[in-house]
Amino acid sequence: MSSWNYVVTAHKPTSVTHSCVGNFTSPQELNLIVAKCTRIEIHLLTPQGLQPMLDVPIYGRIATLELFRPHGEAQDFLFIATERYKFCVLQWDPESSELITRAMGDVSDRIGRPTDNGQIGIIDPDCRLIGLHLYDGLFKVIPFDNKGQLKEAFNIRLEELQVLDIKFLFGCAKPTIAVLYQDNKDARHVKTYEVSLKDKDFVEGPWSQNSLDNGADLLIPVPPPLCGVLIIGEETIVYCSASAFKAIPIRPSITKAYGRVDVDGSRYLLGDHAGMIHLLVITHEKEKVTGLKIELLGETSIASTISYLDNAVVFVGSSYGDSQLVKLNLHPDAKGSYVEVLERYINLGPIVDFCVVDLERQGQGQVVTCSGAFKDGSLRVVRNGIGINEQASVELQGIKGMWSLKSSIDEAFDTFLVVSFISETRILAMNLEDELEETEIEGFLSQVQTLFCHDAVYNQLVQVTSNSVRLVSSTTRELRDEWHAPAGFTVNVATANASQVLLATGGGHLVYLEIGDGKLTEVQHALLEYEVSCLDINPIGDNPNYSQLAAVGMWTDISVRIFSLPELTLITKEQLGGEIIPRSVLLCAFEGISYLLCALGDGHLLNFQMDTTTGQLKDRKKVSLGTQPITLRTFSSKSATHVFAASDRPTVIYSSNKKLLYSNVNLKEVSHMCPFNSAAFPDSLAIAREGELTIGTIDDIQKLHIRTIPLGEHARRICHQEQTRTFGICSLGNQSNSEESEMHFVRLLDDQTFEFMSTYPLDSFEYGCSILSCSFTEDKNVYYCVGTAYVLPEENEPTKGRILVFIVEDGRLQLIAEKETKGAVYSLNAFNGKLLAAINQKIQLYKWMLRDDGTRELQSECGHHGHILALYVQTRGDFIVVGDLMKSISLLLYKHEEGAIEERARDYNANWMSAVEILDDDIYLGAENNFNLLTVKKNSEGATDEERGRLEVVGEYHLGEFVNRFRHGSLVMRLPDSEIGQIPTVIFGTVNGVIGVIASLPQEQYTFLEKLQSSLRKVIKGVGGLSHEQWRSFNNEKRTAEARNFLDGDLIESFLDLSRNKMEDISKSMNVQVEELCKRVEELTRLH
Amino acid sequence: MASILGDLPSFDPHNFSQHRPSDPSNPSKMVPTTYRPTHNRTLPPPDQVITTEVKNILIRSFYQRAEEKLRPKRPATDHLAAEHVNKHFRAASSSSSTQGL
Repeated sequence: MSSWNYVVTAHKPTSVTHSCVGNFTSPQELNLIVAKCTRIEIHLLTPQGLQPMLDVPIYGRIATLELFRPHGEAQDFLFIATERYKFCVLQWDPESSELITRAMGDVSDRIGRPTDNGQIGIIDPDCRLIGLHLYDGLFKVIPFDNKGQLKEAFNIRLEELQVLDIKFLFGCAKPTIAVLYQDNKDARHVKTYEVSLKDKDFVEGPWSQNSLDNGADLLIPVPPPLCGVLIIGEETIVYCSASAFKAIPIRPSITKAYGRVDVDGSRYLLGDHAGMIHLLVITHEKEKVTGLKIELLGETSIASTISYLDNAVVFVGSSYGDSQLVKLNLHPDAKGSYVEVLERYINLGPIVDFCVVDLERQGQGQVVTCSGAFKDGSLRVVRNGIGINEQASVELQGIKGMWSLKSSIDEAFDTFLVVSFISETRILAMNLEDELEETEIEGFLSQVQTLFCHDAVYNQLVQVTSNSVRLVSSTTRELRDEWHAPAGFTVNVATANASQVLLATGGGHLVYLEIGDGKLTEVQHALLEYEVSCLDINPIGDNPNYSQLAAVGMWTDISVRIFSLPELTLITKEQLGGEIIPRSVLLCAFEGISYLLCALGDGHLLNFQMDTTTGQLKDRKKVSLGTQPITLRTFSSKSATHVFAASDRPTVIYSSNKKLLYSNVNLKEVSHMCPFNSAAFPDSLAIAREGELTIGTIDDIQKLHIRTIPLGEHARRICHQEQTRTFGICSLGNQSNSEESEMHFVRLLDDQTFEFMSTYPLDSFEYGCSILSCSFTEDKNVYYCVGTAYVLPEENEPTKGRILVFIVEDGRLQLIAEKETKGAVYSLNAFNGKLLAAINQKIQLYKWMLRDDGTRELQSECGHHGHILALYVQTRGDFIVVGDLMKSISLLLYKHEEGAIEERARDYNANWMSAVEILDDDIYLGAENNFNLLTVKKNSEGATDEERGRLEVVGEYHLGEFVNRFRHGSLVMRLPDSEIGQIPTVIFGTVNGVIGVIASLPQEQYTFLEKLQSSLRKVIKGVGGLSHEQWRSFNNEKRTAEARNFLDGDLIESFLDLSRNKMEDISKSMNVQVEELCKRVEELTRLH
Repeated sequence: MASILGDLPSFDPHNFSQHRPSDPSNPSKMVPTTYRPTHNRTLPPPDQVITTEVKNILIRSFYQRAEEKLRPKRPATDHLAAEHVNKHFRAASSSSSTQGL
């Protein structure tokens, strides 16, 4: 049963909707604040550029974001209003670095028609009131008192019903708004009103302006001394005030965003629908406006928001492409552009479609999205985990250990790679042809297994074998000194650094040696009560060659102990609990914090924070990395230290914002790893796995990797064809010769290079609506099927479309068959060796028939009417699940014998669906246009026909994102023998660029996490006082209901960000150990 | 001729002065910490939890008019003019809405 679902974000929203600049975090600091739908990001302006400070989740979809400065305050406050009618005023407390809520409230009205053109929230420049336009015909006022406190809100009747924009005017004795609206004859006008706070009503304002540009959509208030307002149309720009009126014509364009440049309001940046940035200049003399000028500056991403930062640098936020940091140069470049792009911030939104493929054939899903819109359209390849880019590999069986050595301690690069086997040791080195070649270090023993190797001070190398420790000159390669294990004892485990060796022999003898110039000195010896299983003396103190601490893992009592060096005095002993012995210990430091990592034989890893002076361990945490013993090694990449945990599920452990993170390495099994930074293969790793030694470089250490393939056109549908190793996409682009004519294409792309291999242009007015790779009964070929619609301007709904069947031949799309349809083909599915199409209100099944002449055709078999528009279809066996435009989800059944499709059950709610997916035989998942998720259940055991005919809603949840597509699959490599590997997952993609995962959990786990979620709600507060419970409650125009059978994974996983104290609070309230909680939550993070 | 982009505002001349443009094909990867408030000041002072006046606009205007009638007449001031404008405007608005019907 898949009724218990866990929803978590794998990729946060990246579409930028709002931005503003001000002194938020301190009176001296300038901040850029960016809204990405349900999150805000606070950045600091620095000499080095924009420095991200904080990512703040908001329990709501942000409708308004404004900075303002109440009277008497030294810093700006942040006003946020959400689409579900909540607002808050936030202040930054620099002392505690916390966001404090100054005010909050609910601004919803019981009755009222929500505005069609979005919500408007504005703040009077003199801070007398906040104005909100949320419902048609109403203007809500939240007044400030003279101390800057907010007072009870009230509504004023606003006569204009079709409001396009409202702004406060500057420099007015009484708060005054300008309203841009459309009348019932579709003409557009601007009217001004004074807000009388005393009478709670409008007073007619100082001026009005009738009959504006038909495309006028935006007001820009002009600050003093000029005051007045700019009215931005599609063909004209007008400046209007009580005393002046100036207008200029512009090249037709739709202005999407503006940013004020000068404090006096004489210059503005305007961003249009095509990504062009213009400068609008108000010319003035003696504070009188004399005219307007407009100049094209250049091209950026299509802007949704523009914020002038400082010193000619501008932030361009985009919902359709990557956001950018641009510089405005004094003079144009060779192409005539004043705009120079300094920085690019990835945005996956809008994700219109995506597919999950395993391009590298490693058993790991990658998501390929259709991202961006218009000219900023692209494909994005999103991959979880860290990839190893193989440089070289040799077949080598039975590797027991590997170490890299330098030919001299000051060398930048490693020369030797020592590979140890059960009864021999081989030494590899790069030859002149940059090939790995076997060589010799004369002083080393080669007929035995090496237990440990290391570079040592004084240009020496050290080799530890079961009988001795050998000190060898790295220049002459000859033996300089040797330490022998006492007779009757063999060395079991050993470790070393540049100047120290620590080893353990049977019987619990721990021996500590120091390395001198040509001399090994046994400094200390200790007898422990049990055998030693692993040890480490990686220096994490100030001296990179010498460690003052040793970590030792023990058999029998299953403990890890910290000894001081050189005394070998026990300072800490930590019982690990359980029966699994530690197999690898490692001392390491990340971001100034020292840790002890301890890996167990069953794939678990314990980590402790360590006080390097006292050796005390604290904040014990446990995670499960795999199921086999782990070997830990440090390595460096891009000048940061990371830890590689080799096991059946190799993992890189790294630190970000002082928190340890675990990222999968995209390799199946790694037994040993050592860094190998040779001149030919700089920054590489040597990896032993499955009978092979591989040298490879490692990706950037981060969880998700995103590769961008810019298309310059808008991809709307994508699918992958395994057999031909191609992608098929439906896209639309503008033809270069005529700007207005939109052209739609079916394109074939190589799945490795992403180059266009072949293009099939669709007819004029013909849109590609669906694409599918499939094969048919009694035909071994695979085809691309494309469903289209003729979208004619005079038709409300398309009445004609086509299904095109292509085969890929010699890398080209060949049209094999085509079938006209009586409407738009919204969806195509492979179904019982046939083709199932959703065409307007009908589900239609086609057979693939062989004609007498040997050609093939699609022949209609049967269909099912009764939908408003059947937009989304998924199938399983003979069952068909349909997501309707406005009639929620219905379940159909194909009856083979009768050759008919019948309705089995439906959900009678009026949900406007945006995506559906089948979770299992009985549970179906849907997303709808109020940003909710729902699951419905087939009720086959119902007593009556009526009951069986009803899909019961079993789960409801407010996601806060518009989902365009669900697909089965996983972003991470699934190990069949791990618990997490058994959890089925569905991936979703949204308009704001979110990639999320819905995991269907076992009931026991769900119940446990539900408890954790409710405990977390009490500890992690909603920013601005917004409630998590309310935020996740299902909500549409008709009703609001508490979320059920869905859990918020983002909240649950934030448990790992909590301080130890808070974790303990939760642990107490749940009566579960912190360690257990961490482990269970950490496991969930590995779902994405 | 002076550039149209001359004299762009500078609030702190140091800002972006040491900025090295990264390769624009290689997007910025700096990840800010996610904020998880656990303190008690996410809730505002009790008097700053704002709601909307429950009184209906129509009822409110009735009360306002009633109050105005009850109020002792004041000597003519410039207030009167404002009120006059106000009343005039209301009349205009109601007539236009009837037209709309």
